[in-house]
Amino acid sequence: MEASGGPRAGIDRRNQRPWWRQPVVRLLGIYLVLFLVALLILFPIYWMVTISLKLPRDIYRLPSLIPTAPTWDNYVELLATEGYLLNIRNSLIVALSTTVVSLLIASFAAYSIVRFRYRFKGLVGRLILFAYLMPSSLLFIPLSIIVAELRLGNSIHGLVIVYLTFAIPLSTWLLAGYFRGVPPDLEEQAMVDGTSRVGALFRILLPLSMPGLVAVGIFTFTAAWNELLFALIFITSEDIRTVPLALQNLITGDVFLWGPIMAGAVLSALPVMILYFLAQRFMVQGLTAGSVKG
Amino acid sequence: MTFASRQALWGYLLVVPVLLVLLGLVAYPFFYAIYISFTSRVVGDPGDWVGLANFRYLIGQSSFTRTIANTVTMVVVTGVLKLVIGLALALLLNEQIKGQGIFRAFVLLPWAMPGFVAFLVWRLLFVPVGGGVNLVLTETGIYPEIVDWLGQRSTAMPAVIVATTWRGFPFWCISFLAALQNVPKELYEAAKIDGASAWQRFWSVTVPSIRPVILVVILLSSIWTSNSFENIWLMTQGGPSDATIVFPVLAYFGMQTQRLGEAAAVSVAMVPALLILVFFVTALIRDDE
Repeated sequence: MEASGGPRAGIDRRNQRPWWRQPVVRLLGIYLVLFLVALLILFPIYWMVTISLKLPRDIYRLPSLIPTAPTWDNYVELLATEGYLLNIRNSLIVALSTTVVSLLIASFAAYSIVRFRYRFKGLVGRLILFAYLMPSSLLFIPLSIIVAELRLGNSIHGLVIVYLTFAIPLSTWLLAGYFRGVPPDLEEQAMVDGTSRVGALFRILLPLSMPGLVAVGIFTFTAAWNELLFALIFITSEDIRTVPLALQNLITGDVFLWGPIMAGAVLSALPVMILYFLAQRFMVQGLTAGSVKG
Repeated sequence: MTFASRQALWGYLLVVPVLLVLLGLVAYPFFYAIYISFTSRVVGDPGDWVGLANFRYLIGQSSFTRTIANTVTMVVVTGVLKLVIGLALALLLNEQIKGQGIFRAFVLLPWAMPGFVAFLVWRLLFVPVGGGVNLVLTETGIYPEIVDWLGQRSTAMPAVIVATTWRGFPFWCISFLAALQNVPKELYEAAKIDGASAWQRFWSVTVPSIRPVILVVILLSSIWTSNSFENIWLMTQGGPSDATIVFPVLAYFGMQTQRLGEAAAVSVAMVPALLILVFFVTALIRDDE
């Protein structure tokens, strides 16, 4: 191993290490840093949960790190008087519809891009990447005019159509990355046996890609579930407000109802965070390692 | 029909639905936005072609120059913070240590949290009374006075930057970690044999190996951060006065005044910078052919 310095040099060097480079000290240092980082990550989440369990007087008059008299009152108030269940229902409808439509047509497109050969394929790929990178902040003004002309403003299905602008590029991009990793042999075998190309998609590739489909579905769902800007612009009626819209509405009032706001935050974050955890491994691979040159 | 042309036909047919959506809902609005920015359009009246008048008007506005400065500050400062924190943490997590899996899971938490929830929580954290930041700072004696972090010009931007970094660094960290785990161990062994120190190994092995990923993450994150609306909207709404105003928020305010031509011009003013970033991303990301 010690090609240049000889065996002795290696041992000597190890003994001459200053104290702060000893393996034990180094390991302790790493754990200390990781512990501090974990603390910084957890504190806001902890704060969200504790405030959601506190009454106003505990929030303002006696600020403390630990709730003295935890209560579910905020949750009850949010669900009973603020109609939060309706917001959750609206968000579920919007996010699920967006996901189903996106997955269906995105899997066709991803299949086409990965497995077929034709002119302008590169151009199509470019357009999808371009759309994936297109910020909503650039699209909301023209889209508001288009949606108004189509008489789709202030409606759930109008919002779903607008959400396709980010959901379709996202799901096509991620699915194409996933399909690329599936060997084409099985589809080719099926086609030799007489299955059509589209049959091969439905009978071979999609069943094989179930984990990928689920992960992409989760990401599309959460992207729609989390969206605020379009909802703010396109939804004006109270009864079709989505969750982010309902919570931001609680904040722009005269009095900030932090207890109920944080209860709403917990309720809307928890399911999504669990889903995200299940899907994250795939996302990272799809977004960076698999799609980057080098 | 030959096999090749039948194949091509199926290829086109399968991609048509997505193509229609993208052309109709992304490409058309994109060019439409550019067109509107050259008109005097208001809600209910398409207006006339006014050339560069909207842009000339914007440049004369102090809130617009403020917007440019804030957006650049936001992208650069959060970018540097996320790069340093993300890379350092990825290197630590790449070490063979016990409990690595648990820490990885911790790092993912801010990223898994919906953005609107994260920024609502940070808004609450920075509140003078009942906010966790002031409580921790006064209780530990680090800073004894109560600060209205989001309510004063000097601290509002740093506070939003802290929240944006908190929410954004996991993506960087996890992307770097994935890249680090793909670096062949032999490279480090070889560098060690050649007598390279840890610092030298970092610069001569680690950085070159993961450079493409670093570049893509910087570019993607710059695009996302410069266009992020909810961090500013939920924490400060661009305030106090215009201390934290950024492009999407200014465009949103513009739309509320119903002067769509001017509002579109705000968004379109970003297009040149956006196109440059997109150009570099497309150059770095693998083509389909």
